[in-house]
Amino acid sequence: MQDKQFMKEMLTESAHAYKEGRMDRRTFLALCGASGVAMNAVLAGDAQAAADHVVMWNWGGQSVECHGSAIGDAFTAATGKGVKFDTSGPLEGKIKEMVDSGNVTADVADADLFNAVSLGPTGHLEPIDYDIVSKDKTLPGYALEYGVSVILYGYAFVYDTEAYGDNPPKDWKDFFDTANFPGTRALYKWANGSLEAALMADGVAGDALYPLDMDRALNKIKSIKDDSIYWGSGSEVHSMVVNNEVTMAIIWQNRGRNIENDTDGRFKLVNNQAMAMPGAYIVPKGNPAGREAVMQFIATAQEVPAQLKLLDCLGMTPSNPAAFGEIPEDQQPYAITSAMNIDKIVYNDPTWWGENGGDAVNAFLEAIS
Amino acid sequence: MNAVARHIHPGWAIVAPLLVLVVALYLGPILNIMWLSVTDPEPGLGNYRKLYESDSLLRIVWTTLRICVITTIFSVSLGYSIAYAMVHCHLRQKNYMLTLLLVSFWISILVRTFSWLMLLGRNGLVNNTFETLGLISAPIAFMRNELGVLIGMVHYMIPYAVLPLLVSMQSLDSRVMDASRNLGASGSQTFWRIYLPLTLPGIVASTLLVFILSLGFYVTPAVLGGGKVLMVAEYISVQLLVTLKWGTAAMLAALMLAGVLAMLWIMSRFMKLSAVFGGSTR
Repeated sequence: MQDKQFMKEMLTESAHAYKEGRMDRRTFLALCGASGVAMNAVLAGDAQAAADHVVMWNWGGQSVECHGSAIGDAFTAATGKGVKFDTSGPLEGKIKEMVDSGNVTADVADADLFNAVSLGPTGHLEPIDYDIVSKDKTLPGYALEYGVSVILYGYAFVYDTEAYGDNPPKDWKDFFDTANFPGTRALYKWANGSLEAALMADGVAGDALYPLDMDRALNKIKSIKDDSIYWGSGSEVHSMVVNNEVTMAIIWQNRGRNIENDTDGRFKLVNNQAMAMPGAYIVPKGNPAGREAVMQFIATAQEVPAQLKLLDCLGMTPSNPAAFGEIPEDQQPYAITSAMNIDKIVYNDPTWWGENGGDAVNAFLEAIS
Repeated sequence: MNAVARHIHPGWAIVAPLLVLVVALYLGPILNIMWLSVTDPEPGLGNYRKLYESDSLLRIVWTTLRICVITTIFSVSLGYSIAYAMVHCHLRQKNYMLTLLLVSFWISILVRTFSWLMLLGRNGLVNNTFETLGLISAPIAFMRNELGVLIGMVHYMIPYAVLPLLVSMQSLDSRVMDASRNLGASGSQTFWRIYLPLTLPGIVASTLLVFILSLGFYVTPAVLGGGKVLMVAEYISVQLLVTLKWGTAAMLAALMLAGVLAMLWIMSRFMKLSAVFGGSTR
């Protein structure tokens, strides 16, 4: 461990020297080789990245452009360090595999806060440094030892105005009421949000959801099984809705915004009882750029301008309370922490999901298949 | 040195590095998976015991087997008629058919899966046409259920079924069938008693190929099943990536591997596998 640390520092130092022209390329590569830094890391230029880049691991698509302009530019201006992207999607299993293999190539992962609860105690994550990152710039309860919520996304639903014109569904109770609101529903396949929605539909208060009563939730889910299909990705539910396969769909609120636009308002987003999900930045153990640089990156993302740009570009809602009041008028209906919505939403408990998520997903899959 | 050379052909020395590499890169990870299945989360056979204790796991395995068997039956019987037609039509038509077959063989599985949604989906071409013609009042649920998965899988698998059958049919000596007719057998008698038994190795080969490939299907069930048809491959991926139950995933992977090997072994009891894979029967 000591040796690894030494080598990393030596390489970081020599990468700087190489960049500034104090060391020639051949010596630099020889040093990389001698210290056993993986060839592929050198080939990909990652040893250089280790010196002056932070590698963000996200989900691709628009997020490269948006994370770059919202966080990357300000971070580069403040620290002189660049931002690179790995767009392969930091699923929990992939983070675990990356750290276990000892070849950590990402500095910060755009993940869920419950990932911090399940992967932190097993030694796969760096703890958040709260001397650099601020606990006050996120919602209370969403600044945990191994992860901090930077944005919120929400599980809301959209409905077809042509199917329910005069009497639109207002809440989860209506969503699960197939007698008065006939039509096919789309639910999220990996349980998250679907379970909470089922419990609220069954009469559980939004602030008394946890610990989730799994049997009760699954019974409610099964009660509309014949009228349900299930989606696994944002693009999948998007196509289910715009192709009119369903009349209602549980959906991420930023997708809801896109769908309203794509269908010229035929489908409408309902944020009542939407569940706020803390999207978190977490740091794989032994990240190449070092702890300080990545903590500065996270701190940059917490700032109000970055928060508002992420909302504008990706539709991700700010989690920094100082930004709530500055959400622009046209984004108010789609941002779950806007003045228009904040009193109607419920909050996800990352600790419960971190500790019970695996079993919950399996039980859910069993119930729907 | 001479003593060694007498027992081991020196040619092996040239092959050995490659062989070692293949064994290391291929067997290594497989052994690792097997090891994981008896060590994660704790040492012992706990993961395998779950098969008996958990109804849901058994149900997933059962769903997978059921879908694979049905897919295999339909793909091989449709494939048999296609191959039969190809062998017995004119060369020009045969080339057209082969081109069409290969084109669909080369098109990505994702594209083929999503085109079924456009054709047979709730608002797809077929349902829209039927509704406009007044044949049906509500859309028929072809997709987002087990039927959808089967349609998608059979369609994907037909080229895999046709190719081995085609090879087997082309290598038949047509004079044998002529002799059968000459000796007084009717057309259908010739088919059932001469042609079909002679093409049996081809049938077995395409059955094995289709069944084994079907076991690993992931994209088609996930998209066309609407989340309701859970097969082993998708379940393994969820256990690896989302729920972090790597032991369960490794156990199911080991089980599938054992199943495939067992199937090959049972087949080898009934016929020479080399014949199935195109070698000589003698």
